[in-house]
Amino acid sequence: MSVVSDVDTVISNILNRYNSRQYLMRILQEVQSVYGYLPREALEKLSSIMKIPLSDIINVATFYHQYKLEPPGHYVFLVCMGTACHLKGNQDNYNVLRDALGIKEGTTTSPDGLVSVEKARCFGCCSLAPVIMVVSRDGSERYLHGYVNIQEARKLAFKYRGLASSKKKSGG
Amino acid sequence: MVKVFVNGKEIDVDVESTLLNAIVKAGYEVPTLCYLKGIFNEATCRVCIVEISSGRLVPACAYPVSEGLKVFTDSERVLKYRRAIIELILASHKIKCQSCSMKGGYCQLLKLSKDYGVEGIPVCSECKLYGSECLLARGIPCLGPITIAGCNAVCTNEYSQCIGCRGPVSRYDVLKEGVELYVKYGIDVNEVLRLAELFWSSLPIIDTLRGLLRESKSGGKA
Amino acid sequence: MDKCCSRCWHTPEYPCKHYIRCRTEGPLCHDSPECRAKRERRINEIKYGRYGLKIKVPIASCTLAAGAKEVYNAVVKEVNSSGLNIDVGITGCIGLCHIDPWLEISGKDLPSVIYANVKPEEVPKIIKEYLSKDLSRAFAIRSRGSTPPSKVPLLEELPSWSNQVRFVSRNCGVVNPESIEEYVAFGGFKGLEKALNTTPKAVIETVKRSGLRGRGGAGFPTWIKWDIAQSQVSDVKYFIVNADEGDPGAFMNRLLAEADPYRVVEGMIIGAYAIGASKGYIFVRAEKPLMAERLSKAVEEARKYGLLGRNILGSGFNFDIEVILSAGAFVCGEETALIAAIEGRTRPRQRPPYPATKGLWGKPTVINNVETVAHVATIFQVSVDEFVRYGTEKSKGTKMFCVTGSVRRTGAYEVPIGITLKKLVYDLAGGPPEGRNVKAVQVGGPSGGCVPSDMLDTPVDYETLQSAGAIMGSGGVVVIDDKSCMVDVAKFFTSFTLAESCGKCFPCRIGMKILYDILNNITEGRGSEEDLEVLTELSDAIVGSSLCALGGTAPNPVKSTLRYFRDEYIAHIRDKRCPAGVCARLVEYWIDPTKCVGCGLCARVCPANAISGERGKPYAIDRSRCIKCSQCFITCPQGAVTKR
Repeated sequence: MSVVSDVDTVISNILNRYNSRQYLMRILQEVQSVYGYLPREALEKLSSIMKIPLSDIINVATFYHQYKLEPPGHYVFLVCMGTACHLKGNQDNYNVLRDALGIKEGTTTSPDGLVSVEKARCFGCCSLAPVIMVVSRDGSERYLHGYVNIQEARKLAFKYRGLASSKKKSGG
Repeated sequence: MVKVFVNGKEIDVDVESTLLNAIVKAGYEVPTLCYLKGIFNEATCRVCIVEISSGRLVPACAYPVSEGLKVFTDSERVLKYRRAIIELILASHKIKCQSCSMKGGYCQLLKLSKDYGVEGIPVCSECKLYGSECLLARGIPCLGPITIAGCNAVCTNEYSQCIGCRGPVSRYDVLKEGVELYVKYGIDVNEVLRLAELFWSSLPIIDTLRGLLRESKSGGKA
Repeated sequence: MDKCCSRCWHTPEYPCKHYIRCRTEGPLCHDSPECRAKRERRINEIKYGRYGLKIKVPIASCTLAAGAKEVYNAVVKEVNSSGLNIDVGITGCIGLCHIDPWLEISGKDLPSVIYANVKPEEVPKIIKEYLSKDLSRAFAIRSRGSTPPSKVPLLEELPSWSNQVRFVSRNCGVVNPESIEEYVAFGGFKGLEKALNTTPKAVIETVKRSGLRGRGGAGFPTWIKWDIAQSQVSDVKYFIVNADEGDPGAFMNRLLAEADPYRVVEGMIIGAYAIGASKGYIFVRAEKPLMAERLSKAVEEARKYGLLGRNILGSGFNFDIEVILSAGAFVCGEETALIAAIEGRTRPRQRPPYPATKGLWGKPTVINNVETVAHVATIFQVSVDEFVRYGTEKSKGTKMFCVTGSVRRTGAYEVPIGITLKKLVYDLAGGPPEGRNVKAVQVGGPSGGCVPSDMLDTPVDYETLQSAGAIMGSGGVVVIDDKSCMVDVAKFFTSFTLAESCGKCFPCRIGMKILYDILNNITEGRGSEEDLEVLTELSDAIVGSSLCALGGTAPNPVKSTLRYFRDEYIAHIRDKRCPAGVCARLVEYWIDPTKCVGCGLCARVCPANAISGERGKPYAIDRSRCIKCSQCFITCPQGAVTKR
């Protein structure tokens, strides 16, 4: 899955609108909204066109949490790590999700590449703690689940894995 | 020109100066690590912190002077925090560093460690990193807890007791902790002393060590 | 917002100074009873709907999560299918999260009634009952209109409302956040008009008189920042609103920005006018996309009617705003780090120079929090006196607090500064649920500290909280009950600030890691008494010597839990026990026989072979073999493994 489509076209489209160093954050956000993450090829292209050292771009890309350097699953679980959610046991939910999806230590995506589980900063929906948000890779779908306990978490894991699987089959 | 007070001493400096300029001009000293004149003054190492009249601690290399500002380079808090920072740096450094003879024997970090009494990490720490079984736990006298590290614990990694060839730790508190370990594992203090005299008999520290061991034998303060 | 007749000549290119006042009191430039009637009709329409009857459903991040979209659809469906003459609109979050999703039915001379926890299938019944004057199902009545008193309480009688002073949140849950007309109809942009009619210096003087302090956390007097920036000579200046809201457990900025975005815009324009800024940025957290959408829409609409752009309301002042998304970094709450993010760089820098003199791209920049600028707008709309009525000597006015955690009524409450924590937690938020007791209240998020339950008479103001070991912060208040472990809480906050540390300076980068490692060891039964001393000394060193306020406040949770809950630390260290039953390695695991179905999964995954049983019968854990890895707890599909 390392073929990244149309890097040249995508990059030049973005650079037509933002073409100087000061817009780097926005450029990276646009690249990520196209691919769901920041492919290495895209960063290298940016570096050579904008004449910014690649290390500089990677500095920014790795500093901010939002940027992903690896392709995420078709669905991404964002487990809120806010105070209220933590106190109500979201850490357990996080562990259960990873266990149910077979995600190995050091990675965030299931081995079949279908679903990712990540820790997210507070969404601000503390009254529904513990909160887990599920987003589709392209960001078009957003589902917020509240009051999640460990059984619910396990069910969600299988539900979205199923959905991701059908998405993958239909070429989504 | 503005007037500032460094450790109580009045001095006139250029309005563009930093506290560091003023301190040096007044004849005092403040250690720096990351500061490089004309190249880097982002105040990231925090070693040059000094106390100003408002009670705040600020980095001397990047803080501008202002009329009437009072600076204290060696207040209690400054010394305490500076020491803590050096300890933090050493904690994330290779232990070998503390007895490096390269750089012509001059290393700013090592000099600071000595000035602030943070040097002297014992071989025990290095030995633990390699995960070898502790010889003391097997009843074998080993000078690891009171010998200065830097050798990568070559002997103890081969299950051979440390005989202190690199020299003793210079800090009293580390010595004491080492002696406590001997008591804990029931090591014969005479054995320890015999080993220590091998390389250290001419060093002043041997008397301190003797005293501590004697105390521990009589069930003293250890 | 439209012209009443052809005599009105206002356009964004040729603005009329009195445009805003004219919207509600006009027409001003000519006398015409028809125009006046037209205007009044329009205002009535906005307030009560086209037919004098209106249903509002709150559409905000939290209400959507609770199912508000389904409720909204049900309302639209019911109104359409029954052919009733009712307008259906949206509004923002009211702050009483425990009643989400709610809806409100109101009308001209009719009672304004709120229904709580609405299910989509209840909607037809609710509407029918309201129309037949049966209000028994309602949660509260906002205003009675001409109806007689009933058993349903008035909103202002509820303790969660009566203790509030809705100064800056006055429109939240009242207006349609996407409609500039509604904002203006309810008094919006009057403040801007007033401000533009005076000089920038006079604006700063007003803010000074109000004593407004930054609501983002530091509590710095707003007027000072503005004054310094105003006095700088520069070709361009910037005004930035920090809508990053990184504190976990804080959502008042999101609430304000989603429910009343125009207020934020108005405050920003006033601030920009005061300092002479020509360009503004609203820096919004990427994780809160609805907030960004609402703010963007507000900016667009304001521009459309000439409230942003060139020669705003004929004052000669030019200013425009751009909404940009952050990329997720708690350190961006620090001014210089926020500026770095906008510039496409990373990490904060040493101050001075302060952003007010040298900020974004080296130009004078003022950064204010969302709530701060909302206060500015309201102060100018209403009056300074209305603001200074509340608060304490040193901290005037009101503040929004988000109370979450172990309380019955989670929500965002705006109260006068100086109110006691007890009032906030018990009267407003209803205290802990049945069977739980409050152990501590964490104020100020990861930069703050906890206040133990016997100190809840502490008034909430900047100075008092600081001496108690906490900080006001952005206003996040988390109520911790006896089922939570304070050492675990300290470890949680430390792991957060450790992950968010930018890594630039030694004390924070290395120090926080060591604090975390020590806390982790303690929670896993490997702590020693010397550790407590190291924690205290190291915390002081990190606070005193860090480069920015992240490191400068990160050890606060450790310090305050050590100060007030030392006994819990000792229990973990000496007795290798977690009194609250939380720390995974220090609790006992057992299988609840009433929940276990005997599937044997736990026994299969147990690495220590400590679980045994027969298929179909409840399994049991041999505690002498259990290594407390919690694998059984994670794996059980029935949730039958419990910790205590």
